[in-house]
Amino acid sequence: MSGSVTFFIASVSLLLGSAAGFVMHRYDFCIAGMFRNVFMFRQWFMLRILLLLIVVSMGLFEGARLVGLLSLYPYPLLGSASLATIVGAFLFGIGMVLSGGCVVGTLYKMGAGSVLSLLAFAGLLFGSAAYAEFHPLWKTFATQTTLSPGVITLPELVGISPSIFVSVAIVLFLIFCIRFHPLSAWTRTVVVDGYLQPWKAAIVLAFIGLLSYVLVGMPLGITTAYAKLGAGLESLFFSQHVAELSYFQALPLDYVPPFFEIAIRGGAGPQWDAVALVQYPLIAGIVLGSTLSARMLDEFKLRLNAPRRQVVSVVLGGVVMGLACRMAPGCNVWHLLGGLPILSLQAIFYLFGLVPGAWAGSFILQRFVLK
Amino acid sequence: MNTKSVELIEFDIRGQICPSTLLTTLREINRHKKALKSGGAQLAVVTDNRDSTTTIPDSVRHMGYEVTVAKEHDYYRILIG
Repeated sequence: MSGSVTFFIASVSLLLGSAAGFVMHRYDFCIAGMFRNVFMFRQWFMLRILLLLIVVSMGLFEGARLVGLLSLYPYPLLGSASLATIVGAFLFGIGMVLSGGCVVGTLYKMGAGSVLSLLAFAGLLFGSAAYAEFHPLWKTFATQTTLSPGVITLPELVGISPSIFVSVAIVLFLIFCIRFHPLSAWTRTVVVDGYLQPWKAAIVLAFIGLLSYVLVGMPLGITTAYAKLGAGLESLFFSQHVAELSYFQALPLDYVPPFFEIAIRGGAGPQWDAVALVQYPLIAGIVLGSTLSARMLDEFKLRLNAPRRQVVSVVLGGVVMGLACRMAPGCNVWHLLGGLPILSLQAIFYLFGLVPGAWAGSFILQRFVLK
Repeated sequence: MNTKSVELIEFDIRGQICPSTLLTTLREINRHKKALKSGGAQLAVVTDNRDSTTTIPDSVRHMGYEVTVAKEHDYYRILIG
């Protein structure tokens, strides 16, 4: 990879990750909590904010596509929808609730000093790397249950312009807001310093996603890097075994980034490549941005005051989530904030699996962990 | 002269998994409902979870209790009742 591509993509990813981590900490933008709170407390407020984020991203992505700002549409690494996506997302939903945060939530909470999230992070690395052991089997299952091979988005499937779908979604969302939720229902009474109103956080995150899409060629995504990091650690002890696994040899990311003319490639193997270039700085940025926010508010403190039951839940949840984000493949941020706005079929399938998974996770958490 | 003593029931939920803070608070409110309603007790929840500083007051006010949130060092104290 040339130096200019490396510098540009790494810098953009680091900056966008830092901004996202900062914003997520200010509002406590926990996507796992958005689904979990519906099932455990019948609280819909946070899920409404997620809906706002998805609809704003839809408008921004489609606008950018229409004016020619998106050189890649659909973006790289998005696959066809299959039953494997639903099963993976179901397990992901369980894992994210048990570990107290999804893949990205774990990062910003860890950045703010949560030791439990650090343990979840370790579980995520283990689970992501462990997936490689049964990848060939799972890939066969995914291939055999694919809905429409080669078809990525709903507009492609039905042969209608994405603009029509996006326009209808925006109109329906506006009707929903006007009919059921006045402006006052979108704000919270602020009692802490530095609190960012959730609707503002949603809009900022939508713009961060757009910038990533325009500048890097795809919206925010980090889960392949978890497998890569896990593979790197595993190869310290079992280098021969890691080198033999087909999952770590594959290079699914193969694209020409915007503003450049050379292709970059990467995969989940431990080597330095395009996945490391795009996703490692993003991970580091989210952690650093959150740490900066927490320190500015004098809230950073490493703490572990949890009962053993919670510690076990967080580690196991992290492992399940790590496995699941490879099985789906992808996570909440990749599918809900990137895929759904362009009506990716895989993202729609992911949502079908995630919701019952979050319900099952909430049930287990309430029944066995927080009893 | 009548002096009424108020019992302070405190829970330290710092460093725990989400949504332990909200769940524990709701459970303890139910457990001490009578004392909290009569003014015989106050519930103090010590937390480092930012989200709880909005979700707890929202939920608890709907149940008819007074709530205050104060920052102390690097955590928050939520006083109910």
